This record gives sequence, structure tokens and C-alpha cells, in this order.
Amino acid sequence: METRKSSEKFVVPIGPQHPALKEPGHFEFTVDGEIVTGASVRLGYVHRGIEKGAEDRTWTQNIYLLERICGICSHVHATAYVLGVEKLAGVSAPPRAQAIRTVTAELERIHSHLLWLGVAAHEGGFDTLFMYSWRDRETVMDLLELISGNRVHYSTNVLGGVKYDLDTEKMDAIRRGLDFLEERTHHYMKVVTTDETFLARTRGVGLMTREQAEALGAVGPTARASSVRRDIRIDAPYAAYPDFPVKLITDDGGDLLARFVVRLKELFESYRVIRAILDQMPEGELTTRVPRRIPAGEVISRVEAPRGELFYYIKSNGGEKPERIKVRTPSLCNWGTVVSVAVGHKLADMPMLLAGIDPCFSCNDRMVRINRGQGAQFWSWENLRQYGIEYYR
Amino acid sequence: MTIGVMLRDVLKSLFKRPVTELYPFERKTVPLELRAELTWDPTKCSGCQLCIKDCPAGAIELVVLDKVNKRFVMRYHRDRCVYCAQCVQSCRFNCLNMTNEQWEHAALSKEPFVVHYGRDEDVQFLLEKAAKEGVEECPDQPTDPN
Amino acid sequence: MNTTLLSILALLIFPGGLFLLGYGLAYEYVDRKLVARFQNRVGPRWFQPLADVVKLLAKEEIVPHGVQRGLFIFLPVAALAAALTAALYVPMAGQVPSYSFNGDLIVTIYLLSLLTICMGLAGANTIDRFSVVGATRVLTQLFSYEAPFLLALLSPAIMAKSWQISEINIYTHNNLWFVLTQPIGFLVALVGLMGKLELPPFDAPEAETEIVSGALTEYSGRGLALFRLGKDVELVIGLTLVAAFYLGGIANPLEFVLKTLALLVVVAGLQSLFARLRIDQTVGLWWRLGAILGLAQILFVIFWRLVLR
Repeated sequence: METRKSSEKFVVPIGPQHPALKEPGHFEFTVDGEIVTGASVRLGYVHRGIEKGAEDRTWTQNIYLLERICGICSHVHATAYVLGVEKLAGVSAPPRAQAIRTVTAELERIHSHLLWLGVAAHEGGFDTLFMYSWRDRETVMDLLELISGNRVHYSTNVLGGVKYDLDTEKMDAIRRGLDFLEERTHHYMKVVTTDETFLARTRGVGLMTREQAEALGAVGPTARASSVRRDIRIDAPYAAYPDFPVKLITDDGGDLLARFVVRLKELFESYRVIRAILDQMPEGELTTRVPRRIPAGEVISRVEAPRGELFYYIKSNGGEKPERIKVRTPSLCNWGTVVSVAVGHKLADMPMLLAGIDPCFSCNDRMVRINRGQGAQFWSWENLRQYGIEYYR
Repeated sequence: MTIGVMLRDVLKSLFKRPVTELYPFERKTVPLELRAELTWDPTKCSGCQLCIKDCPAGAIELVVLDKVNKRFVMRYHRDRCVYCAQCVQSCRFNCLNMTNEQWEHAALSKEPFVVHYGRDEDVQFLLEKAAKEGVEECPDQPTDPN
Repeated sequence: MNTTLLSILALLIFPGGLFLLGYGLAYEYVDRKLVARFQNRVGPRWFQPLADVVKLLAKEEIVPHGVQRGLFIFLPVAALAAALTAALYVPMAGQVPSYSFNGDLIVTIYLLSLLTICMGLAGANTIDRFSVVGATRVLTQLFSYEAPFLLALLSPAIMAKSWQISEINIYTHNNLWFVLTQPIGFLVALVGLMGKLELPPFDAPEAETEIVSGALTEYSGRGLALFRLGKDVELVIGLTLVAAFYLGGIANPLEFVLKTLALLVVVAGLQSLFARLRIDQTVGLWWRLGAILGLAQILFVIFWRLVLR
């Protein structure tokens, strides 16, 4: 048996394969007993080369490729892309299409937040809450299946509109589902904010001040839980949000509890917005014509994914295929918050802290420029190709 | 100090049936909008191949037997299809459609996933030709439309 | 000759050995099923625990690098043996304990702790980080719940004026149930048992989202199967002890089944109601609350015996 020197750092690795992680990522926590004294993160295990792949596909094909960046927030990816391309092409989807896009996006937010509630509860060892929240999440999954025919990749968007319509029957089904979910969400709010054993795991854990959140560039519910007023749906409304505004939800707690509260309150806001849209659903066409060749130009498209701001940069050179698509997902912005607030916490808090930002690993694995010490190292496509040839020789 | 807030849920569930669906024995009804298998109507097709251009998965091939008389056979790879229904959207003549019938997506080999659509005699002709040549056309390569 | 045969029977068939293993697996099934139903799930089928054990026994046992091989193989055996031995002193299935002497209560509690100590050692034996952290937590938890648990079991002993489990059993049978007169002791004993068995919310030593499988991370195959069997056996013995001490004793097999099952329902309910406690919270809870309650209970009992009688 090896003997370990006491001065040596004791590193607990979490990942790339670990029960706490649903996707591969690697975290190293230096611990002193149970106290974490250092944390680092390494990403890139699920790099799929999607951005490069997008350059090789037509504008239409890319909707479905980009939709598959994330399995949980698939619709917002497609929406961000489609909105960007429509802006480049100088067309705008009809109001009814925009409304349906928004309904789907909000339903997706509901399913994502309920999923997160379950995962976070599981990380905290509260499996009953996990099971119940996922049981109720099936309601919204069924609704999404009802309106789109699919549970995960709804494929709602096409360039210039949406594929399916919402008739009164489906709208009623959505309303019924929302009523049930609203009642359950009230219950979960009570559980999360009053159950003493669970509060002991969330209250005061992962405290992040507003200044920290601003400095680290946190986005989405993570930032809003530290009372940063940042929500793309309000700051730069897109799709149907100009007509159906949402209320900004913030909390000044800054801890895990605040992140729970913000996400659950956002659920109520989603229910309200969906009902408002269904009640005043604009009439009209579902699609407009979009040319196959998109005029040259570049555009930035931002949407609010369930996890925060999703950013698309799209460049066209006037052809059938995009010149460049750059995606920046919300999870990537939030990693810094985990690493910086981890120090000083117990090792047992780490899984909940990780889950607290609602991470999505496959979302954020694309090229990142890391400034480490002196300058960054860049590899061109040619360099990479050469490296690959050398590596496999 | 409240503990055990979920007590009521827990007690209620004890006397309720579990919500778990025993999948192979009980099946849910299929949603109306389900995008399942692609179907193709050869009589309406003009051979514009827009669906093939737009398919993100390369799941459709169109074999042109006779362009003038509009004799086409569509080869559809169900295993490659991502069921996005973009081809249905793209088709200007409404000859592509997606059924909403549920079917099991598991098989021991890839062969059952390749479906040929078209007039019976055309499909027959194509299959016989393939059999005569001894080797199946490489399914990875899109068939040359000419 | 005859007594030797009886002893061997007692060790291998009843109450030790086969009976206890089967009964332990059955209770594991009931526990899992109940928790599943509490969570609105289906839960396992009746043979699942047995199937798990059979599968584990059939699997290759991997001895990782950096462990002391002998200890690695010996510890699970010792753990299971200790748990099985403990069964000889408790009124299993309402029968008179096979072996009984004055002071066997202490021996039983010691034997029950041995399983936990073996798990701690097994974790510390490997160089895996998760195991080491898990082992630390196992032993930390052991030192936190053990004292209150012991105190909670001592107060019936003091009331019965005996340190012999069979005599306490008879005493409790002839008196008002202690769960009514000493509810605090009952609660501490039951929750202490959950701590002992590392059931949620006291499962910090094997919290899968933090340290994979805790002290047993490196175990596979036979070793893991034996540890799991040991835990199942300890579940039965622990429930029997609590039932014998606080639920009016165990006089016949029917009482045994009913009372232990009733306790198991409560334990399963408690498992599904709470979020996992951090190890520092567990220690805090036991020393700040559990120990004081246990101590108050025992002081009250002593006071009762000395002054009021």
C-alpha cells in the first residue's frame, strides 16, 4: 500500500465518469478533509465538431443539426438559428408562427426546469422529490408530444415559420396540463422553501454576490438568483415576447435556495405567458417564403434558453451554406461561478453546486479560447488535420 | 422547523397505483402528430429532388429510371431518418407524408430499414437489376440521378 | 454430540445462516418495494435482491492494486460472520435465543458495529480516493450514532434490570410497551438503526452523487455480495432488537413478523421523506440532539428506578 505524504494534495476527481454527472466533464476538487480548498474544471469530452459540420450543410439542414446540440433545450437552439437566418434574409415569420415558437419554447422551459429540480434534488439525496418532479414533468412531455409528435426534438421550426398549428383541442389540453402543473409547482415551492432537511443543504450554500455574478459573466437563472437583472426575453425581446412580455424574476439570496426559488417562480411566469398567448393567439399563416440562398452578411441572434442567454453568430457569404456559425451556450458562461464559489464548501455540496447552474456539457463543448499565462495557442484546421494524421500513424 | 413536507405525497402514493408504465405490456396511444414512417406517392413526384437536398440525415435517395416518363423509385433509409419531416415541408407536390403509426425501431440487421417506394414494376425492376449485378449498390453513396 | 449438532444447526440453518440470509433478502425486497411505492414507482420484483446477490457471487472479484490482498478478502467475510453471530443472541422469530448469557446485549451491539468497522477498514484498505473519503465518513458516522443508539437500548435494559436480551424481551412482553412510555428512546433507537445501516437520509458514507459508492467503491463480486448480505442481516437483527425492546417484546413468530414489518414500514417512510444529511450535519444531529435525548432518557429511567420505586 502506498503511503501518502500529508503535505501532498488530496484531489477528489469528479468525472469524466461519475454518478453525479449525467454527461462527461472533469472536475478536480482539492480537499482538506471534507473542505474543498481548490477546484478546477476541464471540458471538451463531448466535442462533436458541430460548428464545423454546420459549414458543410445547407441552411435548412442546419436547423436539425443545431437542434441536436442539446437534448433538453433543443427548441431554443433551432429558434436562435432560425431567427438569425430570417434576419439575414430580411424576412420575418408570421405572428402566429412566432406565437407557436414561443409556446413551444416556454413548454420546453417548463420541462427543463422541472428536470433540473429533480436532478438537483437527487444530487442532494432527496430522491422522493426527484421522483415526483419527474413524474409531473411527464405531463409537459406529453403536451410537447401532443403538439409536435415528439418528446425531445420537436422540430417545430422551419426557416420562415413553424411546421404545425395549434387547434383549440390542443390548446385546451395545454391549459389543462398547465393547471395541474401549476398546482404541483406550488407544492414543490413549499417543499423547497420549508423542508428543513432540504434547506440545510441549500440555504447559504454556493453564495454568490451580485458583483461576483456580474464579474464572472453569469447568465440565466444562476445570475438572476444573485439579483442580476438579465433576461434576453426582456432585454431584447424576440419571437412573440414583444407582444406577450414576461416579468423578470430575480432573487437576492445568491445561494442554491435562491436558484431553486428563481427557477420555480419562472415556471409560474411560463404558465402565465403560455396561457396569455393561447388566449390571444394571432391568426394567419404559418410560414413565409425564405430564399434558398441567404444574402451575404452577418448577424447575432440571442435568445433566452432555460439555462440563460444563448448566443448565435451567423455569417453568410450569399450561398446555400453558412460561412460560419458560432454558438455560445449558457452553461459555458456559468462554469466560472462554480469554480470560484466552490472553495470553502464541503465536498458534499459539490454535486449540488454543480447541478445548481443546470449544466449541459454537450452544449458547451466547442472551441474555447483559454488564456493561460502568456497568450493562447491556436490550431488551424490544417494543424488539426496534421495532428490527427500523426496521432493515428 | 418543518420536516417531512412530502409526507402527504408519500402516504397517498402508498395506496395508489404506481405511475410507471409497464412498457412492453401496456402501450400509450400514439400522439396524432407523431412523425413516424415516411411514405411517398410516386404519381405526384416531379423528381425535383428538393427533399433530398433538404434532408439533414441523407435518408432519402431517388433512383431515376426514366426521367421523361417520370419513372422514379425512392429508397428510404429508416435507420438514418431523424423524423424531422423537413422533406414533407419541402415537397411542393405533397407526395411525401409521414404516418403516425407506431412501430418498433429495433432489428437485428440493417436490411429491414431500407424501404423502396414506387410503382411495383419499377421497384421490381430495380431489385432484379441489383440482384443480377450480384452486389447491392453501395448504400452509402447517393445514387447518381442520371 | 446432540448439543454439537444443535449448535451447528443453530449456526447454519436457524436462527443463523440460511434463515437469516433469506429473511434479510426478503426484508431488503420489502424495503426497496416500500420506498418505491412511497415514490410512486413500481419497485423491484420479489426475487430481485436474491438475483443481485447471485449475480454478484458469480462475478469475477477484482482485487485492485495497492490493497492488502488478505485483508481485502477477509473483511467482507468477517462483516457477514459478525452479523450472523449477532443473530444467536436475539429472540429471532420469537424463539428463545440460541445462546444467552448475562451481558449478551453488549456483545450483540459490539457485533453489530463490527460490520460498520469492517466497511470502514475495507475503504481505508484501498487507495481509491472515493473509498478513503467514504471510509472516513463511515467511521465518523459510527462514532456519532453509536453512543445515542447504545443509550437508547440501555434504558429498557435498566428497566428490566438485566443485560440479557432474552430477559429484557420477557420483561417488555409483560409490561406496557416502551414505545408508549419511552417514545424518545424508541425514536433514537430506530433512527440510530437507520444510521447504522446507512439508509437515507444518513447515507452520506455512500452518497453516490459525491463519492460513488463510498467505502465499497472498489468492491465487486463476492466481497460486495457479502457486505450487502451483512447489511440485510443487520437490518433484520436491528429491527428485531428494537421490536423486542420497545414494541412489547417478541413472543412468537407471528409477533416477530408483524412487529418488525411495522417497523420496516416506518423506516422506509423515513427514508423517503428527507434529503441526505451532510456528514457534518449527521454528526451535529447525533451529538447535539440524539445523544442529549438519549442521555435525558436514561437519566430519567435511572431516576425513576431509584427514587419512584
